[in-house]
Amino acid sequence: MKHFKMGVHSVLPIISGIIPFGAVVGSAFAEAHLSFWQAVLMNTFLYAGAAQLATTELMTMNAAIVVVVATGLIINLRFLLYSAAMSPYLQDASPLIKFLCAFSLTDQSYAAMSGNHDKFTTNQEATSFYLGTAACMMVTWHLSVMAGFIFGNFAPAALSLDYAIPLSFVALLIPTLRNKNHKIVALFSSIISLFFFGLPLKTGLMVTSLLSITLAWIIIQRKRKT
Amino acid sequence: MINGNYFLINVTLLTIGTVIIRGCFIALSAKVKISGQIKELFTYIPAAIFPALIIPTTFFHQGTVEWLQGKERFVILIACSLVCYFIRSTLFVITLGLILLYLVRVI
Repeated sequence: MKHFKMGVHSVLPIISGIIPFGAVVGSAFAEAHLSFWQAVLMNTFLYAGAAQLATTELMTMNAAIVVVVATGLIINLRFLLYSAAMSPYLQDASPLIKFLCAFSLTDQSYAAMSGNHDKFTTNQEATSFYLGTAACMMVTWHLSVMAGFIFGNFAPAALSLDYAIPLSFVALLIPTLRNKNHKIVALFSSIISLFFFGLPLKTGLMVTSLLSITLAWIIIQRKRKT
Repeated sequence: MINGNYFLINVTLLTIGTVIIRGCFIALSAKVKISGQIKELFTYIPAAIFPALIIPTTFFHQGTVEWLQGKERFVILIACSLVCYFIRSTLFVITLGLILLYLVRVI
């Protein structure tokens, strides 16, 4: 329970960025004339903000199913890497825990996990911490999306609360840059992300991630040889 | 207005696909032995993905502050990154960034 609470506490500061984003997604649902239950259904089962936003927009334009699904899945492909990184912690976990962890995998939960990985001595502690982050994220996300759906985008524009999302990622990223090589990969990713941002179907994120991971692999191999 | 069946098919396919993406490695975790090199590679995932989530959204944001060429979010992000290097508090960095953005716009 101690590590579960630690997980909850680790994502509490990030909530300031999640609430306005949830409100934006909720108001996009309302503008697309989704019924309350459709909004609940999509939010509960898909549970991936950026993909929800992009696919809702495509559905309002009556885009082909293959385009809608491909767009959503390409945006969500980054979860594949998170899933791989989470797998060592979940080797001994029950199928139910594995399912819960997989289903609740988000950028923020994974970031909190990777930033605190040195605080766990067992996989059970890590899983408990992760479930704490995931529970907090899930409750916040569902409440903010539903609030956005019912009340519209309630976050005051003057406060620019949407800016809290990139800021929270910065705060979660910096502690994971443990050595020079991590910093090189981060810098490389930062620069090439600007060039690939305009790629269609929001594939820029995945292309940048894969190229950066490739660079990391090259660095590891070189380090091994020397 | 989105057609009900069309919506349902899309959400079902997206849900199945996303669950597979999120769960494939986790489901296989007990069966696959992960080497030391791969574990090391995993430590690079935040460095590879998070800048791609952060940088374009701030750099290409249409800002309003003329003397910063509308790039106030990007400039403040760099300042906050430097501060975060020394003060590793998520809450502090978010609060500082939002206050700086507000002040830069007001001034």
